[in-house]
Amino acid sequence: MERKPEWLRVRYNQEAVEEVARLMGELKLNTVCKEANCPNLGECYRKHTATFMILGSECTRNCRFCNVTAGHPLPPDPDEPENVAAAVKRLGLRHVVLTCPTRDDLPDGGAGQFAATLEAIRASCPGTTVETLISDMKLDTKALDTVIAARPEVLNHNVETVRELQKAVRPQADYQRSLAVLRYCKEKAPAMLTKTGFMVGLGETEEQIEALMDDVLAAGVDILTIGQYLQPSPQHYPLARYATPEDFARYKEKALSKGFRYVASAPLARSSYKAWEALEGVHDLH
Amino acid sequence: MEKQLSLPRLREEMTSGMLCAWLKEEGEPVEAGEPLYEIETDKVVNQIEATESGVLKKQLREEGDEIAPGEPVAVLETE
Repeated sequence: MERKPEWLRVRYNQEAVEEVARLMGELKLNTVCKEANCPNLGECYRKHTATFMILGSECTRNCRFCNVTAGHPLPPDPDEPENVAAAVKRLGLRHVVLTCPTRDDLPDGGAGQFAATLEAIRASCPGTTVETLISDMKLDTKALDTVIAARPEVLNHNVETVRELQKAVRPQADYQRSLAVLRYCKEKAPAMLTKTGFMVGLGETEEQIEALMDDVLAAGVDILTIGQYLQPSPQHYPLARYATPEDFARYKEKALSKGFRYVASAPLARSSYKAWEALEGVHDLH
Repeated sequence: MEKQLSLPRLREEMTSGMLCAWLKEEGEPVEAGEPLYEIETDKVVNQIEATESGVLKKQLREEGDEIAPGEPVAVLETE
């Protein structure tokens, strides 16, 4: 195993982690923090924040970068929307990120559960903003309409990597389809912020990164996140390189100069990491 | 009172992690929340925080050791 660069250091406090994990266990909830083996789990749990993974912990796809288990997921839990709302209340979250494994097995791709969870959060925590980090839902516009109609403040869908590496990294997804999801959502609800993210360190070139930025910007994306790919295990897609903090600063500058409204670019930046900062950052521009 | 500190399970599938550095020497005081040692796992280097204050009485493992979750790593003298 290649030694980790000094900027990939994170803090871990067992008590804080166990406290949030206990709450999730009590309410039968999953977090992508745990399922994706997120390096920021310790920091986020310590701050009493987490990203909820609704619709189970097993995914119907098998992307080669991702730590979420591929399998045959269970039907949606009807109590989940209320349980998420209860956890949001107990954690006192002002901004919630909801995500899911890809549910190609469900006719609506899980859109109904997103809408129900949003509604439950709105009912019990009226001041809380919500970000939905969705799968491509096979570009089913009816499913996307269901999510949009629930009026999340931010709609996020990750392109994950440059066009050239899509097949190798996320074989059951499609770059153009992901762009189409982002474009459709923006056209349907222009006031809703849209967001996407990608990883570096999979073997992409600077030119390919720039082309990706141009493509997602053309799809109307407001917020961009850029982070280091970290290989979850030797069985996952091989790591090509560690980009330096200076590289990430350069990507950020480049993206902002192209016209994104907010860019989070850092080695440990993740789609939902400090997501409220992006929302506030965009609103400060108004 | 002496308290044995074990390596937490940093993730569910974790089988072991490598102790890359001690951040406190034996005999040094430690505040709750201060990082005590570093464990390298697949993705990152984790700085494990002390969950209570005391004095680091003994380092039970050496830098470079592979440690399984639950195995004792240090002895902390608490009040």
